[in-house]
Amino acid sequence: MDITVLQLIINGLLLGGMYALISIGLTLIFGVLEIINFAHGEFLMLAMYAAFWLFQLYGIDPYLSMVIILPLFFLIGVLVQRVTIQPIINAPPLNQIFMTVGLSMVLQNVALFVWTADYRTVKTTYSGLTLKTAGLLISFPRLVAFLLAMGLIAALLIFLKKTYTGKAIRALAQERKAAMLMGINVYRTYQIAFGIGSACVGAAGAMLIPVYFVFPSVGSLFVLIAFVVVILGGYNSLTGSLVGGLIIGVVEAFSGFFISPHLKEAIYFVIFILILLFKPTGLFGRA
Amino acid sequence: MRLISRNISGNVLHPKIYFPFFLVVLMAILPLVPQNPFYGDIIVSSFFYGTMALAWNLVGGFAGQISLGHTAFFGIGAYTSTLLYLHYALSPWVGMLAGAGLSVLVAIGIGIPCFRLKSHFFALATIAIGEVLRFLASYWRGLTQGGVGLLIPFKPGIENLMFKSKTPYAYIALALMLVMLLICYVIRNSRFGFHLISLREDQDAAESLGVKSSRSKLTALIISVIFTSISGTFYAQYILFIDPFTLFSLGISIELALFAIIGGLGTVTGPILGAFLLTPLDVFLRAWLGGVSAGLNFIIYGLVLMVAVKYFPLGISGWVRTWYGPFLQKLPGGQRAWKTEEAMALSLVPARASDSGKEREKSPFFAVKSLNKRFGGLVAVRDVSFQIQKGEILGLIGPNGAGKTTIFNLVTGFIPPDSGQVVFQGETITGLKPPHQICLKHIGRTFQLVKPFKDMTALENVMVGAFARVQNAQEARKRALEILAFIGLTKHRDSLASSLTIADRKRLELGRALATQPDLFLLDEVVAGLNPKETEEIISTIKKISGQGVTIFMIAHVMKAVMALSDRIIVLHHGEKIAEGTPLEISRDKRVVEAYLGEDYLA
Repeated sequence: MDITVLQLIINGLLLGGMYALISIGLTLIFGVLEIINFAHGEFLMLAMYAAFWLFQLYGIDPYLSMVIILPLFFLIGVLVQRVTIQPIINAPPLNQIFMTVGLSMVLQNVALFVWTADYRTVKTTYSGLTLKTAGLLISFPRLVAFLLAMGLIAALLIFLKKTYTGKAIRALAQERKAAMLMGINVYRTYQIAFGIGSACVGAAGAMLIPVYFVFPSVGSLFVLIAFVVVILGGYNSLTGSLVGGLIIGVVEAFSGFFISPHLKEAIYFVIFILILLFKPTGLFGRA
Repeated sequence: MRLISRNISGNVLHPKIYFPFFLVVLMAILPLVPQNPFYGDIIVSSFFYGTMALAWNLVGGFAGQISLGHTAFFGIGAYTSTLLYLHYALSPWVGMLAGAGLSVLVAIGIGIPCFRLKSHFFALATIAIGEVLRFLASYWRGLTQGGVGLLIPFKPGIENLMFKSKTPYAYIALALMLVMLLICYVIRNSRFGFHLISLREDQDAAESLGVKSSRSKLTALIISVIFTSISGTFYAQYILFIDPFTLFSLGISIELALFAIIGGLGTVTGPILGAFLLTPLDVFLRAWLGGVSAGLNFIIYGLVLMVAVKYFPLGISGWVRTWYGPFLQKLPGGQRAWKTEEAMALSLVPARASDSGKEREKSPFFAVKSLNKRFGGLVAVRDVSFQIQKGEILGLIGPNGAGKTTIFNLVTGFIPPDSGQVVFQGETITGLKPPHQICLKHIGRTFQLVKPFKDMTALENVMVGAFARVQNAQEARKRALEILAFIGLTKHRDSLASSLTIADRKRLELGRALATQPDLFLLDEVVAGLNPKETEEIISTIKKISGQGVTIFMIAHVMKAVMALSDRIIVLHHGEKIAEGTPLEISRDKRVVEAYLGEDYLA
């Protein structure tokens, strides 16, 4: 295989791992609560700022700061769910859509107000480090991020399969009323699911800051990618999000190289619309 | 959100008529009042956003399709007219029509595939479309100058839709808004309006009543985008500068929805109330706080949205409704009688004049031949054949999971059969879809889990059914009242369907489908969940319907009802027909006893 193609695949996969982690949180939330969290991107943005400030003020390495960010964003997710989503859990979809849209607006503009629109990033000793093997260049921070992301996703999947809470989440995602009848505490499970979803995207934020910039509206860009991944993979399939994320990463790498980096967004949208129209259940989704 | 079906022959001197006119006059005077262009701008903006909010509400509120990409049409309108004006000196008055035309084409292209999607996904798709257009507008620099934007040279004159002062702009915007308002009002009380709302409430039920869901949604979208697009042209001629970021911003799409939600989703005047409240608020917030820091006004906006969604789902309109009626009564003339109700003769449902052609009588009234359906590995319906004679009542019984409702769905266009034939009155209707086609052929159905249109009154529910046969709202109302009398729900005619008991809901569902004048009526478990007295009542209602000449095909588990009503019975088990005959024959059939009735039944 051509070395360029191999390089692109690797770049794409490394990127895709991040996308997968961001999207898996969204899928979990949608699968269990049947809500599309339009503020998901803002959670990512907040996590990136959190990692940035932890580094800036206390010198904590972003990857290490995940130890703080994971539980922190779990709690934030639980809180947001209790305050904004739970009260309208039985309202028509329109109301739920607008609640999270409103939340997204508030979070974006609070960030703008507090931290201004300046672009920030984190430069660590290894930010620019690249590994060279077999003629390929692999960015060290991205590799670490990829491995951590895969680790977290694996942990999540194991959690869902083996633990009681995990099974409760899956049961709830499949059939709400039966789950209630089986003694599952639905409201608590909603909170946990939302919390886990937020923790995932929080971790993604911490991993992203060394290789990307944060600014108040960065969430909009990534959430769009997350939507595409979720739809591509199947809106009720976690493995779908994993695979979808990797695919989208590779697509981005290839289209950026062979077509044009500017058309990236357009390509996402086109994929997005095509999937919604022709196979709304995605690659792995159940009808 | 009740529909208010107005009787136009009401008294003109009643406040219900003259007060709204008074408000319109007030709005017409408003642009003349302020000396300061700052306030003049607020007035123009309020009218202008009022139009767009009304247009959005047609799709988002009436039809229930949440579009977050309406800004796309706003932008198309603005760019089309502007480019035509800049390059070909075409008057914006003509340019706005061109823009509207282009918007309609885009809307049709998008609407047809996207309307298939469920609410959350439809919203996502519309966001994507708005973003694609924004991207196109920025990227296609040769055409649109990209992010730099287009500047329109100031040449005042009515032919250019440009004026030195704000006042003419305000009047044009007001005129546009009033036209849109009138259109919304007319739609609301018309057959089209009832169709849209029934679609929003329950699309399956609406389809079964003859509502053409795709066409209705598309029509609403087309009207909506025409006015949104015209507003875009107006905006361009008012601000004299357009750029992709402002025009195609998601924020505008969200704002339009916000106006409608705050004002009262799905109401006629709600969006205007929302626009009139929020536009000045937004302008003032920007003026006072925009300088302090960026984004503070949006924070407040976002919070308003969140609070409104949670605490005021009915919007301002809901609140206004609580005091508007009594307020009107206090005005001069308010005590006068509104309209005289025609005395409703308790006439029975007029039997439909049957189109009897000799050919029709030869072929069976309704026949199913070798119908098959499998879902993956499960064979739901296996080689089922039977006939229904005109005027009879055929019962369909069998254990749960036997395939009874599946057969209903196969025959009424909800699921396509794998193979087999369905013939009705000499016409092959196998696999005919969508369900509204089945209704138009005079086959009606009810659903196992009743699907009332919850936000409509009982009368309005039945009117949706009546609209399958008549166009005129007055006529539909009259027929609906007759049907309500026939099924015994007259006393609940103005009650919301959501407030009815299960027995009344079942009766409502019967009446609603009956209004579509079916020749063949499919009843799915209409007796389930009723107590003995209610069961008696509904049995007698079904007998009455049968007496009108309607052929009935009913699924039921309650043996009392089945045996009392059916002329003949078919028994289904594991998707296969295992017996067919009179109630007596069936009750003695060994296979039926074994599979379904149980030994105790024979004893």
